[in-house]
Amino acid sequence: MARFIFRRLVLAVVTLWLVISAAFFLIRAAPGGPFDGERRLPPAIEKNLLASYHLDEPLLAQYWRYLRMVTRGDLGPSFKQKDFTVNELIAAGLPISLGIGIAAFLFALLVGTSIGTFAALQHNTFQDRFLSGLATLGLAFPPLIVGPVLVLVFAVGLAWFPAGGHASVKHYVLPTIALSLPYIAAFARLSRVGCLEALDLPHVTTARSKGLSRRRLVFHHVLPSAFVPVLSYSGPAAAALLAGSMVVEEVFSLPGLGRYFVQGAINRDYTLVMGTVLVYAVLVLALNLLVDFLYGQLDPRVRSEMVASSD
Amino acid sequence: MRVFLPLFALWYCVNGLADIIRIGNTGEPATLDPHRYNLRLEETILNDLYLGLTTMDAAGNIVPGAALSWEVSSDGLTWTFDLRPNARWSDGEPVTASDFVYSYRRLVNPETASSLAFFMYPIKNAEAINSGTAALNSLGVSAPTTHRLRIQLEKPFPFFAERLLYPTAYPVPPHAIATHGDDWVKPGNMVTNGAFVLADWRPQGFVELVKNQYFHDASNVTLPKVRYIPIQNATTALNRYRAGELDVILDFPPGELRWLRQHMADHVRVSPLLSVMYLVFNVTEPPFDDPRVRKALALAIDRRILTEKVLKSGELVSYGLVPSMVANYPHATTQLPDIALARDLLTAAGFTQNNPLKLTLRYISGDENKRVQIAIASMWRSVGVQTSLHHTELSVHFADLRQANFQVAQAGWFGENNPEHYLELLMSDIGDVNYGRYVSPKYDRLIRQAKRTADLETRITLLKGAEIEGLRDFAVIPLYSVMIRSLVDPRILGWRTNPRNVHGVRYLHRK
Repeated sequence: MARFIFRRLVLAVVTLWLVISAAFFLIRAAPGGPFDGERRLPPAIEKNLLASYHLDEPLLAQYWRYLRMVTRGDLGPSFKQKDFTVNELIAAGLPISLGIGIAAFLFALLVGTSIGTFAALQHNTFQDRFLSGLATLGLAFPPLIVGPVLVLVFAVGLAWFPAGGHASVKHYVLPTIALSLPYIAAFARLSRVGCLEALDLPHVTTARSKGLSRRRLVFHHVLPSAFVPVLSYSGPAAAALLAGSMVVEEVFSLPGLGRYFVQGAINRDYTLVMGTVLVYAVLVLALNLLVDFLYGQLDPRVRSEMVASSD
Repeated sequence: MRVFLPLFALWYCVNGLADIIRIGNTGEPATLDPHRYNLRLEETILNDLYLGLTTMDAAGNIVPGAALSWEVSSDGLTWTFDLRPNARWSDGEPVTASDFVYSYRRLVNPETASSLAFFMYPIKNAEAINSGTAALNSLGVSAPTTHRLRIQLEKPFPFFAERLLYPTAYPVPPHAIATHGDDWVKPGNMVTNGAFVLADWRPQGFVELVKNQYFHDASNVTLPKVRYIPIQNATTALNRYRAGELDVILDFPPGELRWLRQHMADHVRVSPLLSVMYLVFNVTEPPFDDPRVRKALALAIDRRILTEKVLKSGELVSYGLVPSMVANYPHATTQLPDIALARDLLTAAGFTQNNPLKLTLRYISGDENKRVQIAIASMWRSVGVQTSLHHTELSVHFADLRQANFQVAQAGWFGENNPEHYLELLMSDIGDVNYGRYVSPKYDRLIRQAKRTADLETRITLLKGAEIEGLRDFAVIPLYSVMIRSLVDPRILGWRTNPRNVHGVRYLHRK
């Protein structure tokens, strides 16, 4: 088991290195540079600027310099946000992105699986079709569309929630809903199908014929089997929610990591883009590792594969 | 409890709002170091934090700032400023002439890597020092007494008092920089000499300023706190404004203007910005090296259709390179479209129905720009020109323009109430900001002659001569002025529309 985790960690470091390298050379290949703006820069000033950020060195030298900095945990100064280092900006933005990502994940998981289970238990009734239809609709509406609508209705119109900012818990309600909607739909569909399949499993039929109460049947026999697909989807979903909040952050003007990523890319703020890519990559890798681990804990078959593969 | 909650909310509204003004700024400042800044949205905040030698009143007029008065020598080369004797930094230290000497040397020091240092190139040796070819102490700025500052210019520059309005000319606190090094710009460390001082800065969240008790005019500053909230997306800004979370927003989507005028007319502040939007030809590339082609394309454009039918926000038509808001300048007269002449010119240049002129028009991404360029393309189609449109984001657009990597492109210039600021753009030795690489010895000669002339009237006449020359060559097609689109809560008093779009919070009050 320890060897399995160790091997996955080595693999994660190699993946990170590949991600960093790809991001480094891709952002450099993009047209324009961090000091292009509306106003002109005389050659002397441009030279001063480039020198102070080591941008006058050959690209490979800059690449090695960056790798050395990253291994020290230093993501460098931001080229555009001149008064902050990338580390400071990420420290400011990450908690907000994590907060809304975790809130949206838990909300989607809770609401989605509840809807899915309920629909499955009411299979082929009006309620089932209505909820399944609603879930499909949820998948079709991305946060880019839902966000502004929520703002117009609940912030501008009804004034129940603020339209943007991050001063209180109330500020997170609308963004969480906007972000979680497609995932509620996905979780609902997965858990519905999982439940329907589980209801036909031999051990459930046996349990039912023994005359178990409906509540006991559902919670003890149906749901554990039904939630295996939900769990395997949870890893990618959590990663996508944590990394995918940039649209929602823009719509609700939340100062999270996603905004830095977008602004950094537009401004050609090389170090900021690299830093956010790095954080996202670490998050995705860590979550996948965690889900693999949990999966093994829940399903003995996977655990034996882990042991076998590490021998 | 039910009674108390609304009461508490009411108390919060009254007390929470009375002492703070929340302004939606168009983006996140990259820095609040006045020597390293680069963006207009930073100027907005810096103008509340610092006080230059000159400053602007509520209407945007130039008035004394840190200097009470100034004198210019008869040759126009020496400017002597008498500083306010009671001026203090926000920590109580006096603001002295040597602080300005320190600051201007810091600005032009190559190590500061200031991207806008060239704003102060009119000062003697500034350019040489900034390029690393002269010693720092050779800068033409000296402090004969504690409160007298003397500035020597390279050449006469009658618009110098205006140039001093930019943050590049603000003083920075030598004592705070000595104590904190590069961290002097952080809240708690930053010491300023303006009406406000930096209290807090949450990146992408807000910049919070509080009143500077040591400001010379502090008794007239009634708003004790300002919060600048960065909102790049104009629709988000409008929503947050309508939800009552902001008192002022500095931009809203142009498409909403009609609705806002109908429903929130007393909030809408729309007026022309001191600016010019124009099309530029790359004259190094055929067929745009042919003045007949440039003239034909210019004559095919009906600017009034662009402003009245496409943009519809009240933009001012520009027939010259100098924006029509620039004062004391004889502006270029109306130029009506002439489709017949445009066709003749194109035929003379060798373009016919079977061999039409095909060109690529580049513009900056954005809905408004797109509509304008589509309109221009259709005007050109009416004289048989086939236009393909190509848009890129702002930074890429201007990077390509500076490398002359275009045929015809949209460009804009804004800032000063001084014709030179705009006419310089077509000088052959101005550098890559002459995007189209236009070269005219006569134009260059007239501008250079103007720059040596101390007498304002003669100077203007020479500048006008140059503009006529440039327009006759159709190096560029001036189109219109950009619009300022703000919403201001009617309960905020003292907001005066001005073409520079500068609104110091020190002049604002709450009803």
